[in-house]
Amino acid sequence: MTSRFNRRTLIKGAAISLGLVGLPSVGLSQAKPNIVIVGGGFGGASAARLLRQLMPSASITLVEENAKYTACPFSNLVIGLGRPLDAQAFSYTGLESSGITLAYDRALDVDVTNKTVSLASGVTLPFDRLILSPGVDMRWGAIEGYSQDAAELLPHAWKAGPQTRLLREQLQAMPDGDTVIMTVPPAPYRCPPGPYERASMIAHYLKTQKPNSKLIVLDAKDSFSKMTLFQEAWAEHYPDHLEWRGAIDDGRVSRVDAATNTVSTDFETLQATVINVIPPQKTGEIADRAGVSDATGWCPIDPISFESRLQSDIHVIGDATIAAPMPKSAFSANLQAKVCAVAVARLLSDLPPQPTVLANTCYSYTTPDEAISIAGVYTNEGSSLSSIAGAGGVSPLGADKSIRAAEAAQAVHWFETITSEAFG
Amino acid sequence: MPDRNLQILMGALSVISLAACGSASDRDTQQPAFSLSDATDSGAQLALACSGCHSAASGAIVSLNGYTREALETRLLQYKSEADGTTVMHRLARGYSDDDIAEVSAALAPLGSAP
Repeated sequence: MTSRFNRRTLIKGAAISLGLVGLPSVGLSQAKPNIVIVGGGFGGASAARLLRQLMPSASITLVEENAKYTACPFSNLVIGLGRPLDAQAFSYTGLESSGITLAYDRALDVDVTNKTVSLASGVTLPFDRLILSPGVDMRWGAIEGYSQDAAELLPHAWKAGPQTRLLREQLQAMPDGDTVIMTVPPAPYRCPPGPYERASMIAHYLKTQKPNSKLIVLDAKDSFSKMTLFQEAWAEHYPDHLEWRGAIDDGRVSRVDAATNTVSTDFETLQATVINVIPPQKTGEIADRAGVSDATGWCPIDPISFESRLQSDIHVIGDATIAAPMPKSAFSANLQAKVCAVAVARLLSDLPPQPTVLANTCYSYTTPDEAISIAGVYTNEGSSLSSIAGAGGVSPLGADKSIRAAEAAQAVHWFETITSEAFG
Repeated sequence: MPDRNLQILMGALSVISLAACGSASDRDTQQPAFSLSDATDSGAQLALACSGCHSAASGAIVSLNGYTREALETRLLQYKSEADGTTVMHRLARGYSDDDIAEVSAALAPLGSAP
């Protein structure tokens, strides 16, 4: 407990590194440290921006393939409600104008011995500290028949962008009366309540645009985030348009066939016009290259500094981490990024990182006007993150519509705030 | 519009730089905005979670700008103690100790009254 009240030295140390006090740079290991961040999502962009503020003299390079980031939160509203995909896109010009170097490139490999990152263009970036925020990759082949090629026919839409548009267009092109199937993987995966928000939005689309059609959700699990709240909403709004089958009802999908538009469970093969396969996931590939992922496919981290358990001087944040009970959410990635940025600033000033309290809030839409939420509070004191007892939880069941509407409005505000914080 | 958490951390940084000669007992004295004690340091890190939702613009989620430390602390303790409260803030506040709440309030308040 006392450790958290010892942060005076953090600020003092950082102040020294900032040159704000006329003291010799005692304890400052690097006059101009090189910080490289890979991945420009909510994690990487947020880390870059806070580090820019904390360490004005540091060289900060953000490696990101795309000129614009397409955000996943609210992308289910693109699919079901026709929200413009442009509303999900954010550029890095704000980061660049603050003095962060953007390398619009693909990180290919990490040399942990020489502490360099090699890029597809042939450039090699040296680092004192590397922050990986690689997000998720799909485990191609984990469901038999589901490959990158198959995803062009049976979209996952679990990375926002062209896949999101494809799923929207397939729903629009589908004749009324046809069936939509969504498959949901076992945990852990990006955005635990995301599939169920998406199911709600697709069911709303069917109810209003294709009233003779139906969505069947085939789930590898028997329970899920905000389950009773979603099921309450589905019973009220989509009794004829949404059917959810858990693992116990043969919901686990083992095989898909893009040629015949079929999905196979243990006992049955179903055909549908639109099939949204949300496949099992793992950390983004660069984490494997850097040697920071383990046999689970995810990255073990020190919960205070988010430094890799497997490689020193390399930190991992966001969806790629093993940070449960913190979910793989945009909120988590943003906050982990900020906590990691403070830790990196301290470490580069020869100061130990300090524990703190972390939190998460996720909103999910159930109708165009109503949302539900889940919140959690976590301590990073100890060997892993853990939930603080008595805190957190979900929106009340059976609540008045005004409460659902209020949370929908909060969701909009949250999206504006967090995208502004990450991308400027 | 600069990020609130950055303002907080930078605010803490610059103020501490002014008070760098202060003694370790500073945190025991409740100082108003300008003379931040080192309590603000841990508060500033706690406040990193706030800025994920609270921006300078009030809307469906209120801006924290302009609130005094006392007002923030009172409201957060209220959220924490209202056993039947179901809002996101009720659910979050229950995860913080009274000391956490005092610190995060101190970190958020001084900049809230900045122009």
